[in-house]
Amino acid sequence: MNKILSKFGPFLGLLLVIALFSIPGEVREYFLSVSNFKIILTQTVIVALAALGMTMIIVSGGIDLSAGSVIAFTSVIGALGLKHGWSAWAVVPTVVASGAFLGLLNGSAIAGLRMTPFIITLGMMGIARGAGKWMASNETVNYTNPAINGWMTTADPYDLSMPPGAWVAVALAIATAIFMRRTVFGRQIFAIGSNEATARLCGVNTVVTKALIYTIAGGFFGLAGLMQLARLRQGDPTVAIGVELDIIAAVIIGGASLSGGAGSILGTMIGALIMSVLRNGSQQMGWPTYFQEIMIGVVIIVAVFLDRLRAHKSA
Amino acid sequence: MKAKTPMKAITRIVALIVLCIAPLAVKAASPESYRIAVVPKGTSHEFWKSVQAGLVKAQREFAEQGVTVDILWKGPIREDDREQQIQVVENFVARRVDALVLAPLDSRALVRPVELAAQAKIPVVLIDSGLDSDIPISSASTDNYNGGVIAARHLAKLLGGKGKVIMLRDVAGSMSTGLRGDGFADTIAKEFPEIVLLSGDQYGGPTRDTAYRMAQNLLNRYGREVDGVFSVNEPTVVGMLLALRDSGLAGGRVQFVGFDAATPLIEALHAGDIQGLVVQDPLKMGYLGVKSAVAVLRGEAVPQVIDTGCTIVTPENINEPQVDALVHPPLSEYL
Repeated sequence: MNKILSKFGPFLGLLLVIALFSIPGEVREYFLSVSNFKIILTQTVIVALAALGMTMIIVSGGIDLSAGSVIAFTSVIGALGLKHGWSAWAVVPTVVASGAFLGLLNGSAIAGLRMTPFIITLGMMGIARGAGKWMASNETVNYTNPAINGWMTTADPYDLSMPPGAWVAVALAIATAIFMRRTVFGRQIFAIGSNEATARLCGVNTVVTKALIYTIAGGFFGLAGLMQLARLRQGDPTVAIGVELDIIAAVIIGGASLSGGAGSILGTMIGALIMSVLRNGSQQMGWPTYFQEIMIGVVIIVAVFLDRLRAHKSA
Repeated sequence: MKAKTPMKAITRIVALIVLCIAPLAVKAASPESYRIAVVPKGTSHEFWKSVQAGLVKAQREFAEQGVTVDILWKGPIREDDREQQIQVVENFVARRVDALVLAPLDSRALVRPVELAAQAKIPVVLIDSGLDSDIPISSASTDNYNGGVIAARHLAKLLGGKGKVIMLRDVAGSMSTGLRGDGFADTIAKEFPEIVLLSGDQYGGPTRDTAYRMAQNLLNRYGREVDGVFSVNEPTVVGMLLALRDSGLAGGRVQFVGFDAATPLIEALHAGDIQGLVVQDPLKMGYLGVKSAVAVLRGEAVPQVIDTGCTIVTPENINEPQVDALVHPPLSEYL
């Protein structure tokens, strides 16, 4: 029973939230429609992509507060590239690489200087945000190059097709889940998160592994920045303020432990979806925005509380 | 032959009557009813409360004619959160509202969601700010450039045509406040050669707090030499007002002209800390936004651009009734 609950806990939460908005008949007609779920999925892509990287970091016992700033920075980089007439083939690797570069800086500082991730990434939060504004000359970067305009939208809002960005997120979620479960490197992430000293004694090169974790995660943040760019169609250095907290919340609601060693990609994806469904559903219900914020806050606390109950029981 | 003609005439008349009554009967069976989503830039400023009052005013007028207008009112909390405003529009498209009245936070970032609405055959009417798109059918807003011109002329009059001035803008990319700034800067440059604009490219950001900090920095730099100040909207005026008071420059030592009318600003005008406020008519914007949206849904023609006008409020004219109605919009009557 406990095992089932811990596996499907977040999933049940998602069903519960969907059921909540499906009760009033007048709203159900619009809420429970394919076109609405298409919109919910598209709105989840940015947080979901970034949360893939954040799951790796949190499972390894770390945290990254710079995710929102990195998204803004990389979206500005992408916008500048597009403005110079680059094709999507040039923009994608550049943007992902610039995110990975900031991740590498984070990771090397954390592993090399042995400083806490909270401090390093808090610093990077300001550095990346400021660098983004600098690159953008403190305004929005506008371009006319349509190379990536279609990635986060579909021609017909009511048909069954999904925008490419959503497929990318689904594919990468599956790949990352397999990577974390089935590869040596993936298992090392869990090992470091459970007990770093033991992992080191067992022959894991913790410095290199940690640096790599933050680098890969940075790449994911870069990809999220690219999707943000495709949505806004402009490079906005003030975008995604506070989104790092949404991303962390998705990982936590999904059953990961902030002290490391536990967490799953599937859970994280469901955690991200729960928040999007809450936002979308409460708008369809006509609830005011402040009520949504309160709801999401409550959901985070309840999710973690249930998680702890579960952990106590199994221990 | 002759006997048939009156019969024909009667049939014709009956047919005519049926044709005339039929649409009425259909209308009576399903009373006219529209669901209109209104997406402001934010919900926390008094400006948007006035817009909301205008929506209710239009709604009541339609109700008296037997037309039901459902208003769905929702906006982002922070006035620079483009992503959140996009999500709000998308979710209303999924809700399949009949029409969308939008005050775009950004003239470009909101183009894609408006395209989405158009693909879903939802007509879009703009209020307050413009959009780089041909999709919106009508736009009810202040001629913001002209508002900047009015502010510049008033400040120049206060300064006697010479001196040094600074301007605090709000957020980069906002078309409405950008035009005010441009109108101000252009008029100073063109009409008043003896007035120098010391700083005209600083942005105060989206909230009173960010604007306050930026205004402090500006006054720290230029406070000793400046004679006149212009800020482009409610948060930047409040921020500048606080900073002027902090540095002892309020009360007319520096002539201060602002934009928008919030309660603290009117109090400051009475107290002599502000010498002029260019005010818009947000209530009219909300009112006309809904009126245009319903007109579009009925297939009627609507003007592409409607100027809702702006007025300069000074300590001298603030008690005149038509100015008072702008300064103290009858919110309690509607909200």
